Amino acid sequence: MASPPQLPPADDLYLTAHDTIRGKSLLSPATLGLGLGAALLGELMLWRRVDLVETELIIIDERPTGDAATTAVLEQLRREAGQHGVRNWLAYLSTGIATDLVERRLARAGLIKRVEKRGLLSTKVSFVPADSMTAGWPATRIRTKVSRDEHLDVADLLLAGLILATGLDQHVLATLNARDRAGLFDQFRRLFPVMLQQLVAHAEAAVGDAVMARRA
Amino acid sequence: MSSTATKPPGSQLSDALARDRLGVAAIVFFMMSAAAPLTVVAGVVPTGLAVTGLTGIAIAFLAVALVLAIFSVGYVAMARHIANAGAFYAYISQGLGRPVGVGASWVALLSYNMFQVASYGGFGAIAQPLFLDWFGVDLQWWIIALVAWAMVAVLGVRDVAVNGKVLATLLIAEIVVTLVFAFAEIFSDGFEASTAAVDPGTLVGAGSGALLVMAVTGFVGFEQSVVFSEESRDPRRTVPRATYIAIALIAVVYAFASWAMISAAGDDVVARATEEGPELFFNLAAVQLGDVALHLGHILFLTSLVAAMISFHNIISRYMFSLGREGVIPRTFGRTVPGTGAPKNGSLAQSALGLIVIVAYAVFEWDPLVQLFFWGGTGGGLGVLLLVTLTSFAVIGYFARNPQGEDVLHRIIAPVISSVLLLVMTYLAIDNIAGLLGVEPGSTPAIVVPASFFVLMAGGIIWALILRGSRPQVYAGIGLGARATTTTGGFAAALNETDQPR
Repeated sequence: MASPPQLPPADDLYLTAHDTIRGKSLLSPATLGLGLGAALLGELMLWRRVDLVETELIIIDERPTGDAATTAVLEQLRREAGQHGVRNWLAYLSTGIATDLVERRLARAGLIKRVEKRGLLSTKVSFVPADSMTAGWPATRIRTKVSRDEHLDVADLLLAGLILATGLDQHVLATLNARDRAGLFDQFRRLFPVMLQQLVAHAEAAVGDAVMARRA
Repeated sequence: MSSTATKPPGSQLSDALARDRLGVAAIVFFMMSAAAPLTVVAGVVPTGLAVTGLTGIAIAFLAVALVLAIFSVGYVAMARHIANAGAFYAYISQGLGRPVGVGASWVALLSYNMFQVASYGGFGAIAQPLFLDWFGVDLQWWIIALVAWAMVAVLGVRDVAVNGKVLATLLIAEIVVTLVFAFAEIFSDGFEASTAAVDPGTLVGAGSGALLVMAVTGFVGFEQSVVFSEESRDPRRTVPRATYIAIALIAVVYAFASWAMISAAGDDVVARATEEGPELFFNLAAVQLGDVALHLGHILFLTSLVAAMISFHNIISRYMFSLGREGVIPRTFGRTVPGTGAPKNGSLAQSALGLIVIVAYAVFEWDPLVQLFFWGGTGGGLGVLLLVTLTSFAVIGYFARNPQGEDVLHRIIAPVISSVLLLVMTYLAIDNIAGLLGVEPGSTPAIVVPASFFVLMAGGIIWALILRGSRPQVYAGIGLGARATTTTGGFAAALNETDQPR
């Protein structure tokens, strides 16, 4: 059986952060938002549209990416260029904006389905994975490659980094043994571009901050 | 990080972030929930009268408020410049060096834990006669304490904060009840305006250190305002305002209520406090107010203790989270439950300690009110006084090296004044420790309480020096908290691994 295709890192992170059958989030909304926000910014770096210099996001190419979610973020970055540091952008994207963009992208691709649940007073909208095999694939892929000592590509290193930064590793990487973990950490140091390392570190710090300020 | 201050019109990002920001009132409420007005006025003050025999508590509240307000000038100024502003040890690490900072972090953990477990003793001891009165059930104090403990443990692991509106309502009700009772006491028969309660002479006389520590105990929680530096609407104004308002509010309510109580009780106040304990505040007003008010007062007294125990539990679990992320204590404390963000391991550790203390007091039949509630509360107060003093010096040290962005008042004048005053207070407190605890000078509690702080401080310093040699990456991140990118969360730890010896 052919493996499902590799999705953009934010989509993979979204699927990893949700129950593969019922679609329930494994993360608090704030933490999920920070992870997905960082993933979208990371995608823009992979598209070579944005650089992270110290704590500033610098636009190096204004052209749309051909993908609605990242283009929307790029457009906002362009409109308010140079006014806010990366931590403020993460905080902003985490308010539901990143989650919304990624949900729409996944729904358009038919990977998650919108479900409406009629309650007594209101209708609750949620998303469930269209196919639980596909939804579980990103985490499985990371686990398999790491335990086989295979190299992850940069997009998967971004995904794995954000899995650690959001604390999702307690769910999805718990089965890795110490040797596998060391191997993954070694890949982070050797194969993961410094700019993305810093982005993930900022996301992780923002997650910790949210815990301290009782927002997580 | 300064970009929060600049708000160009029409910035979607600034507008979106501003919606979530906290105003002065929200921060004041948060600070005061740990301070728990009724717990202090009806619990700490009468117990303190009985244990120490000192009546100058009202003036002590005002004096401590003044010193803490001066201290806060430099404290909130430094909060604008450093990460992890919620924790004293962050200031101390950056102002006096990382080793002292680690020592301070251990002292802080002990102090906050003393407050937290003290509230179990207070709750058990105070609820016992009330439950007998209300429901006709005669329970051991420790059974009641264990029920409260179980509730705090469950809420802590699930990280259920008490709803902000509930907390605010309770707090306002508490303050109203405190003031109404205090006024009722003024109009009671035996009332005679006490000069002893407000005599500044008591602040230099024998036992002054004990009074000052009791007063500091009432203010603990004020330091939490700066946690919200980044979350506030305007970091330059909101946090300082909230801090000063809370200190002033606490001072006025506490000083007034304790003055009214001492005045109403008349000359034999110490004897009555010994006999009636925490009931004194209520008994004095009961004549005027009747049963309904009395029951309401008692209910709020208990909810105030519950709010305090939950509040300190959450402060401790987050403190441990922050230290765990830095790698100063085992990294497992730096983990949270992904779905809720609850700092679970810190919470479990705190609950384990609480259980041990309650069981130990039950087994050895120690007194829950004096030996747990009052000793724990005032011992914690002494610890916080030590931390505030060190922090005050740290503010001077920090601004001596980083003078940018603050004027002379914030950098030098206020911190120097508060450092001198706090140093005097600390000296008096340690000198008076036996009087504070109501024991003979040189007896075990009078030595153990201050010594434990110094042992932890020394231990922390040594541990920091070990880290400097063996794990320089961890050492470099001390005091930066969970927010800094150099600290050891899961991912940052992965990057730093090579820098540690295998």
